[in-house]
Amino acid sequence: MTARTIITVPADARPDAGSALRLVRLHLESRRVTAALVTVVACALTLRIALRWSWDTYGALQLPLILESGCAAAIGITTGSPFGEPERATGKWLPLLRLGSAITMTATAVIAFAVATLGADLAGGIADVVRNVVGLVGIALLCAALLGGGLAWTGPVVYMIVGAYGLYTDWHPPAITSPWIWPARPPLDLGAALCAATVFAAGIAAVTWRGARESA
Amino acid sequence: MNIEIADVTRQFGRTRAVAGVSLRTGAGVFGLLGPNGAGKTTLLRMLATVITPTSGSMRLLDRDPGAYAARREIRRRLGYLPQSLGYYPGFTVAEFVEYFALLKDMPPRQVPGAVATAIERVELAGKARAKLRTLSGGMLRRVGIAQAIVNEPELLLLDEPTAGLDPEQRVAFRLLLRELGARATVVVSTHLVEDIGVACGEVALMDAGKLVFHGTPQELTAKGEGHAIGDAPLERGYSAVLAAARS
Amino acid sequence: MTAGAGQVVGQADGEWRAWRQRLVAGVRLLRLELRRSAMVWMLPVTGALFWYNAFRESMAEPAMWNLRAMTMQHGVLLDFAPPVVGAAAWMGSRDGRRQLTDLIGTVPRPRWTAQLATWAAVTCWALVAYCCCVGVLYGLTARQASWGGPLWWPAVVGAAGIPALAAVGFAAGAWFPSRFTVPIVTVGAFFALGFSSQPRAPQWRVSPTVSGAPSIGPDAGIGTFYHYLPDLSIAQVICVVGVAVAALGALGLLDRASGSWLRPIASSMTAVGLAAVVLAAGLAGTARLDPHGMLVIPALHDAANDRPIGYTPICAHAVIPICLNPAYAAYLPECKRALAPVLAEVAGLPGLPVRMSQGAPVYFGPLNSGFAPSGAGVVIADGSSDGSRQTTLVLPDQLPGEPSGADITVNQFIGQIRLPVAADLIKIMVGVAPGAVRVGAVPGAGRISAASGGGSPAQRAVAAALAIDAGATGAPRANTAVGLAADRFAALPAAVRHAWLATHLTALRAGRITLAQLP
Repeated sequence: MTARTIITVPADARPDAGSALRLVRLHLESRRVTAALVTVVACALTLRIALRWSWDTYGALQLPLILESGCAAAIGITTGSPFGEPERATGKWLPLLRLGSAITMTATAVIAFAVATLGADLAGGIADVVRNVVGLVGIALLCAALLGGGLAWTGPVVYMIVGAYGLYTDWHPPAITSPWIWPARPPLDLGAALCAATVFAAGIAAVTWRGARESA
Repeated sequence: MNIEIADVTRQFGRTRAVAGVSLRTGAGVFGLLGPNGAGKTTLLRMLATVITPTSGSMRLLDRDPGAYAARREIRRRLGYLPQSLGYYPGFTVAEFVEYFALLKDMPPRQVPGAVATAIERVELAGKARAKLRTLSGGMLRRVGIAQAIVNEPELLLLDEPTAGLDPEQRVAFRLLLRELGARATVVVSTHLVEDIGVACGEVALMDAGKLVFHGTPQELTAKGEGHAIGDAPLERGYSAVLAAARS
Repeated sequence: MTAGAGQVVGQADGEWRAWRQRLVAGVRLLRLELRRSAMVWMLPVTGALFWYNAFRESMAEPAMWNLRAMTMQHGVLLDFAPPVVGAAAWMGSRDGRRQLTDLIGTVPRPRWTAQLATWAAVTCWALVAYCCCVGVLYGLTARQASWGGPLWWPAVVGAAGIPALAAVGFAAGAWFPSRFTVPIVTVGAFFALGFSSQPRAPQWRVSPTVSGAPSIGPDAGIGTFYHYLPDLSIAQVICVVGVAVAALGALGLLDRASGSWLRPIASSMTAVGLAAVVLAAGLAGTARLDPHGMLVIPALHDAANDRPIGYTPICAHAVIPICLNPAYAAYLPECKRALAPVLAEVAGLPGLPVRMSQGAPVYFGPLNSGFAPSGAGVVIADGSSDGSRQTTLVLPDQLPGEPSGADITVNQFIGQIRLPVAADLIKIMVGVAPGAVRVGAVPGAGRISAASGGGSPAQRAVAAALAIDAGATGAPRANTAVGLAADRFAALPAAVRHAWLATHLTALRAGRITLAQLP
């Protein structure tokens, strides 16, 4: 490399739309978002198929919770970076990319479930789905920040059992009524919604600022 | 002869990674040079019995690796260090080397001593109980060498063994190579030409899957006389042979 | 010794030494893997999930071995599935994630045997956790239960399920070492186990989370009077062992670097494992409900298990001894409270049974839909060998303190015993039941009417009056001659009523007393 080939980048340089889209695409590809989307769609379809059977009492609410947990785990895994430190030592776009991909994936999961359960008898309705998915994704993101992208699934999976048992106690008292176990609360319960939203916000903040922890 | 391969080819889809290589070599240190994508790693992987040749014949340690029982015997006497070595971050240095010693069917009673010796030889005795995740890149490379030599192999295959080692460690490693080469066949694939010059008694140069030179380092140096490209005599010989092969 | 024989002996000795070396090396590999297994990190999570779910659910049951063990079986594998499957999948994908597949492929020991050591390490830790968790539950139950011993089959089924969970997770991780494999297979295993715990077809009873006839579930009468039948448990163990064998066989199919000898072995293991699963499901599909509430699988059934369990009853005295199975010791005071007023009405009268002993409930009905134990609290008259009368008391199906959708209170429990016992005891004494006994929708709120129930008017009037005085709730005061006579008789002082019965009961039972002759 000679002096003539050194390029000076102006301080106020902004990527154009084309390069911005390309950056987003490369970022999503590096996070294996396609595989995560396939997982999300598969979970939604599984729910649709499972709703062909009749589910009663707490089973009708545990079924979507299990599949929502699978989605959240897949979304959490996409926060893991394959590049490590070189990626962190770059400009300002990385936090925005993390924020955008986490929110987009969460919205996609909610939409996938909503579309897949149109016309089906989904216990709890879409309100339940939104609250559960948002809260579980928050847990997955927090796990990613603490344990790394590869282990982000642990939080949603453990919480899935906690929530499933909480739903069971609604029919076999004493019921667990803490809003922090939001799957066991009614779909439009404000306290539970706030708890789920708080966890989601915390997870988003952690992943946006720090990203997933890098494992050895 | 510990390595006898005749007209060995390896194809990956439409790519011919190794194209009709023939080689015979016995005890000593054998250097394998070549540009990126020349087929060195593929050749080493075939010698390590990880993959089988598409065509051609191979005899390692006087055995045909195509037969299962013979292949097992070869692997008991084999040491292999791949170009990119994975590791279990939670293992300690000693545990990682012990793991491979056990997998190589070493008599269990000999394993502790062999592990300690191997770790000592790569100068990591002070780090024997350190977790692998705490080691630097160079130290990890040395751990990889330790697992390759723990069973005192008769056939030792090293792919870029000195990557990440500091100059002092490279000097020590060349000493180790000469020591090992006294009893075993050591095949070293490297880009570092000076390692070849100092440690190897024989050298081969590959390009585009073919063997374009096989001789001593001195003969390779002689090929470079009058050639302009290269900062050292062996490098000039290397460039000259490649240029001739490609013209 | 000839040279040839010496050669053979030397060869055999050498082979034995080689085998021993391999065994020792295998043990050392296992020791290494035990130290570094990811399952160690999952132990606290496993313990917490077990406490949160299966432990609390089981301990909420009354302190009876059958209730707690069967409840535990339903929940324990659901708690263990995510951490065990997750850790196993993580370890199975280790070589792929750490790019060690090639290097492992260069060693003489087949990759499969190295993987078996890794799987075994996960399984060992998971089993240690399982034994500790179940041990705590069983230990506490042993301290609290009034009788009986541990029900081992539910624990055995759970223990047999652990290696299967680990094998499925490990094989999935080894086959697909992607970062998505672990959560997908973990959630999938939990979903499959949860789905199978509500059997929709008879074959689904083979799920290790099913602890008995699905429509009955854990019930106090099961395994208390008659031995707990292991038929379904055996089928479940066959199933989970089959799953483990098939998964480990599939693991062997992945090892292409080892010799051709491995593929037939691995394929056979997979086939045998799958066949075992199909066989077990088929066996479970042939199960039928026996009168003791347990599932009988004809092909696995041992008639020797059908014998009753011997026990020394515990008794309380209320006019006559009321004796229960010692497993129900906690409920003896309530039984006495329920029956004392009834027995006081008929104490000393001719024909009174000399003893009331608890009998086993009888279960009948379709297997997967509503079942009915024999009427709770029904007194079944029975003659004994010495000619004296003994009656068999069957307690209600629902015990106070049993967590369920309809929590029964102590008073409701007492009412559920008193009402039908009163009706049948009165029938024995007077010769006719006190009208139609209907146990209401709310337990204990039964009503006895003086309506037609056979017998003479005087018998019906006396029967109704005795029922009212025994504390049966809500006898309607009909404006009929029988109803008015019943009211008058019930209003008499107890001593007067008792004295009249002592004199006239035999004649009343024979139908020779008229309404006008009643005081």
